[in-house]
Amino acid sequence: MKPFTYVVPKDLAEAAAAAAQPDTVLKGAGVDLVDRMKERLQTPQQVVNLLPLKQQLAGVARAADGALQIGALTTLTELEQHAELADPALQALRQSAGMTATPQVRNRATVAGNILQFTRCWYVRSEAFRCLHGGRGPTCLAMTGENRYHAVLGWTDCVRVHPSNLAPPLLALGAEYTTTLDGATRRRALAELFPAEPRAQNPEHTLQAGEIVTALHVPKQPSGARSAYCESREKQSFDWATTACAVRVVLQAGKITAADLVLGAVAPNPLPRPKAAAVLVGEAPSAALFQKAAELAFAGANPLAHNDYKLTIGKAIVRQALDEATR
Amino acid sequence: MTVPPDRGFSRRSFLKGSAAAGVATTGIAAAPAAPAGPTTFGPGLHEIELRINGKARKVEVETRTTLLDALRDGLDLTGAKKVCDRGACGGCTVLVDGVTTTSCMTLAMDAVGSEVTTIESLSDGDAVHPLVQNFVRCDAMQCGFCTPGMVMSSLSCLQRRGQPTVAQMQHDLSGNLCRCGTYGRVMQAIQRTAQGGGK
Repeated sequence: MKPFTYVVPKDLAEAAAAAAQPDTVLKGAGVDLVDRMKERLQTPQQVVNLLPLKQQLAGVARAADGALQIGALTTLTELEQHAELADPALQALRQSAGMTATPQVRNRATVAGNILQFTRCWYVRSEAFRCLHGGRGPTCLAMTGENRYHAVLGWTDCVRVHPSNLAPPLLALGAEYTTTLDGATRRRALAELFPAEPRAQNPEHTLQAGEIVTALHVPKQPSGARSAYCESREKQSFDWATTACAVRVVLQAGKITAADLVLGAVAPNPLPRPKAAAVLVGEAPSAALFQKAAELAFAGANPLAHNDYKLTIGKAIVRQALDEATR
Repeated sequence: MTVPPDRGFSRRSFLKGSAAAGVATTGIAAAPAAPAGPTTFGPGLHEIELRINGKARKVEVETRTTLLDALRDGLDLTGAKKVCDRGACGGCTVLVDGVTTTSCMTLAMDAVGSEVTTIESLSDGDAVHPLVQNFVRCDAMQCGFCTPGMVMSSLSCLQRRGQPTVAQMQHDLSGNLCRCGTYGRVMQAIQRTAQGGGK
């Protein structure tokens, strides 16, 4: 790690002012950031430590409108074990938080940090490779190289996949996020945190310099809402997904009256699949219906040389998530 | 750890940094006399105070020093092992505020104000914690490199669950990698300790 100045803000305003300075990064637990700094992928002059603001920016609580407010610095363990997460409507979020990385990482890693992780693409995460997304070369090396963990959907000039496993369930649940920038607070749909066009030159998120995510909000779910999150991976522990799916359905009198379906680990962004969700609405859960939704979820996929297995496994994961949510 | 040359580091800035560490530790707003703006540390060496195994310990660190390096190199607490140095293997597991943490991915600065518990807290001369005794009795180690981390995760499992089931032990140990494959014996040691053995 290169030496840096460590900034301890007393409040959010100080953190924001420090974060707006050049060559400065914000740090929550720093699980991903310390990794990148050890690899010298990131060598900031200043690191602003947000952990002293935990009292203000961590914790799970019900807001007046029934929405679940999740502080940006809430750890994955705190999220998983919180009593509010026992709600079957929020099962996807609980499952996702509980299967991330290892117990040690979950005890420390924050919700915002998980969503704002840098991609795991081994080309961009190694200084030695002249990769386009890393700003070190002219092309995406994964596109024609070792790409078994890379994108099958939604890619253009960079085939990285988004590594967050909290993002799909949060998107499926209609979550919003709050940020603070220059003293102004904004609350937006979570989808806006990810670039509309996830091209190589775009970072994984749309935050501006000095902008700080302060909270996530999961809106009050209607009665009959159920959700589930499933992912495929090569190891049971300390691994990232090869494919992932979060679904939220509203079940009334044995029929699905509303549905949301979001894929993870298959595209540069966490990927909502509205057409796959729409086919579920008005129908009773069945294996044939779930198969139809799974096919639609991967419609238009464009796999690379070494990752067409993601289509087969990904469809099975969609079916498994739907099965769990409607069981 | 070497200090990079010409970082504008002096004994005075070092002392100022130490005083500021006290402010940071309390986690409350600075005293009225404090200058405007946030407290900063580094990038050179400075002294911080960590709470380790119930005692306040002063240690010299850089801002980039990990908790693991501060423990091993700064405080000679070499129980926690540096194996992967990327948070993937659990060899460096310590408890921070009572929960298991990979100390290789935690900056030492981030542990200021927290209670750190290391494997060294489980022995006092020849007297060792029942869990450690049961690791020996159950032959729960081979090369021993993962063992300190494995013991800390096992301790956390016992503290949290009391009488853990196999599934709970598997869950709680899932962040500790053992190349020798001692997992079964480790779980036996936990169960034996839970049942009151080794006292």
